[in-house]
Amino acid sequence: MTDLAALSSFVVAAVGLAVPLGLAALGETVSQRSGVINIGLEGSVIWGALGGALGALAVGPYWGLATGVLAGGLAALVFAGFAVRLGTDQIITGTAVTIGSLGFTGAVFQSRFGATGLALELQTVPAWEVPLLSRIPLLGPAFFDQAVTAYLAYAMVPLLGWFLFRTRWGLALRAAGESPEAAHAAGVPVVRTRMLAAVFGGAMAGLAGAHLSLVHTGTFAENMSAGKGFIAIAVVVLGRWRPWGVFAAALFFGGAEALQFTLQALDADLPYPLFLALPYVLSLAALAGWFGRSRAPEGLALPWPR
Amino acid sequence: MTAAARLDSITRRFGHVTALDTVDFELAPGEIHGLLGENGAGKTTLANILGGLLVADAGGVEIGGRAVDLRSARDARALGVAMVHQHFSLVPRFTGFENVALFNGEAWTRRGTATRGYRSQVEARARELKLAVELDAPVAELGVGERQRIEILKALMSDTRVLLLDEPTAVLAPQEVDGLFAVLREVAGAGTAIVLVAHKLDEVLAVADRVTVLRRGRHVLTEAAAGLTARELAKAMVGRGLAAAGARGAGWAAGSEGEPPSARAAADAGGRAGQSEADADPVAVLDDVTVGSGEAPALRDVSLTVHRGEILGIAGVDGNGQRALAAVLAGMVRPDTGTANLSEEAGWIPQDRSDEGLVKDFTIVENVALALHGNASHRRGPWLDWAGIADRSAALVDEMDVLAGSPDARAGTLSGGNQQKVVTGRELLRAGELLVAESPTRGLDVQATRAVRARIVELARTGDRPPGVVLISTDLDEVLELADRIAVMVRGRLIPVPPEDCDATAIGALMLSAGSTGDGGHGGGGNDAGHGGGRAGREHTT
Repeated sequence: MTDLAALSSFVVAAVGLAVPLGLAALGETVSQRSGVINIGLEGSVIWGALGGALGALAVGPYWGLATGVLAGGLAALVFAGFAVRLGTDQIITGTAVTIGSLGFTGAVFQSRFGATGLALELQTVPAWEVPLLSRIPLLGPAFFDQAVTAYLAYAMVPLLGWFLFRTRWGLALRAAGESPEAAHAAGVPVVRTRMLAAVFGGAMAGLAGAHLSLVHTGTFAENMSAGKGFIAIAVVVLGRWRPWGVFAAALFFGGAEALQFTLQALDADLPYPLFLALPYVLSLAALAGWFGRSRAPEGLALPWPR
Repeated sequence: MTAAARLDSITRRFGHVTALDTVDFELAPGEIHGLLGENGAGKTTLANILGGLLVADAGGVEIGGRAVDLRSARDARALGVAMVHQHFSLVPRFTGFENVALFNGEAWTRRGTATRGYRSQVEARARELKLAVELDAPVAELGVGERQRIEILKALMSDTRVLLLDEPTAVLAPQEVDGLFAVLREVAGAGTAIVLVAHKLDEVLAVADRVTVLRRGRHVLTEAAAGLTARELAKAMVGRGLAAAGARGAGWAAGSEGEPPSARAAADAGGRAGQSEADADPVAVLDDVTVGSGEAPALRDVSLTVHRGEILGIAGVDGNGQRALAAVLAGMVRPDTGTANLSEEAGWIPQDRSDEGLVKDFTIVENVALALHGNASHRRGPWLDWAGIADRSAALVDEMDVLAGSPDARAGTLSGGNQQKVVTGRELLRAGELLVAESPTRGLDVQATRAVRARIVELARTGDRPPGVVLISTDLDEVLELADRIAVMVRGRLIPVPPEDCDATAIGALMLSAGSTGDGGHGGGGNDAGHGGGRAGREHTT
């Protein structure tokens, strides 16, 4: 009985942790498919968390999700303005955006709420229980008793799969990521396509950030993104740049993170920070291609026009 | 009849170079029009203006009898002008179908999604044009000929009045060229006018209805191909008669002890045994070299010996392991199995000169210094003899007829052909023991081609200890003209050609015998081209 309860709480925690990773990673999938690797994703996540918190305070939690999306998208717009429009190095630009964002959000937060360390209490986005589906044993409560952000993540998976592989806009976007020259020759506006894809990726990361502040914790803290943006990039690699793969990879990473809580609760004789480290180790392994040969878009991180 | 397209005293300048000077050009519906000229004659510029990629400084463009203002390739496409570039504009990982669909986005837009209908439309069009295309494999896995057919199909999916082809035969094996020409005749027969930018005169004469020759940006002649000879065309292109003596004749005369080349080739083709004299001085020996693994290694069990003063020609369709062979010979790649005994003093003319051969931000002098910095005669202790290198560079610019302001010009500012001349000249300088030349004249004009070929022959024939030369070329004529003995690369294997089989037909057949690239150009799909590899491979095992 305790085993089942532990397993159940593990699955709930895994899905809960997978949702923000999945949102950010699905957005980054689109961005990378267009040839833009947005290392600044972490910046979009933290801006999304702060934007979400401020929006929720001003208008309400649902509006907070919208302002989170907006804030994440704007951070990506700054990134894309440099890296895509001006053709600066994507990795360096993204790193700068991330570090800058962590600093700026902290500064905005302190100037608004002071540096007292008092916890900010936010009204959270409630969970919606889906009738019937939520009664599936074990998986039901985990997948179908979630906030709207989770359902958006689920919906995005088939939607993006259809968009990327069945529509001509998806074809054009993938062409921009594989071979910008050939895409250009076929009349695809490469720069515009990449800008839009990067901003979409940032908006999704912003939603992930808003999920952190408005669903997961109900507060905002400096650096609360805690590397989620970076892990999301590893999730994209592990998911091999395909929406369904990315969804599965997000669950896997969420599960790895959830393990630490479960094992703590079970009083296992293991130092729990080990499991905090596990996702990062998995990130490296995924990047090194240990989970199968990864095929990044060939034009990834290459500036256009050259 | 209204002309399919007409250019009316077009002028186009790049900086203070006039690429086209008041050129007239007229294209009749359904004709194949050969466009000839040396590098820099303006033929690609002319094609690009018609294709909407460049805008003329002066003059008018008419398409289908209507004056038009072409600002982009898209404008041109809307008016039925399509272009197939020398470097294909296909997305390598997309399938053939995806590439066709990408290029024709508007054709299947209705709700933005692909329909089965479009797929059958593409298939129907391919049948109509008798184009054997593979639509479901990523184009990266296809051979050059197949990719070219997809490129053509993609261009011809919508109504096409004018099809522009920039050097389409440069990358094809002889049999594939015939297939391409059959397709072009089919397309022209359906009423599309074709502009064939080319540099091989006899090919143009074989397929074109009319020929236009440009020289230094000016129109020289436009005549029916039927009344022209290759000699007349060459003269028109160059503006003066070509010297009669071929490089080959001079080469044999200077060959070692006047030994007829066929005898030496026979000795080698028969196996590596019994070559007492030649074996005494090999400059590069590969023994059972394999590079790569799995189903299709880049090189498999390749053995060869290069001797001093000989030119070993390696023919083959692009992508059959030539690059790996060159990389091994140049010491850039170590064999996975087998041994490679190479000399230190090797020159390498890479296929991709602009990226692998030159540092574009360096000047010509600096690029020459890069190659010579280890050379004792250009060192002064830890310093370089810059004055000496500058002199060498100036001499190189002069000898190779490089069109550059000065040896201090940055390599990146030179045209492709001129970059190639710099690399070639430089590598000839440092090829003390061995020269590996990968398609050394690809893309060069007639004059430069002759100059480079003559220099290679001269290098191998003169001096007491001349280097050995490995000439890797997809241009079979070049290999036949220069090489003492010939081998063919097919799917990573090296097959020696017996001297009695050294003619274009036999070698061409060998090139395609186990062709990884296939050749479906004669109808009936390209699937059956993959057989015969085992037989060819066994022949080589000695």
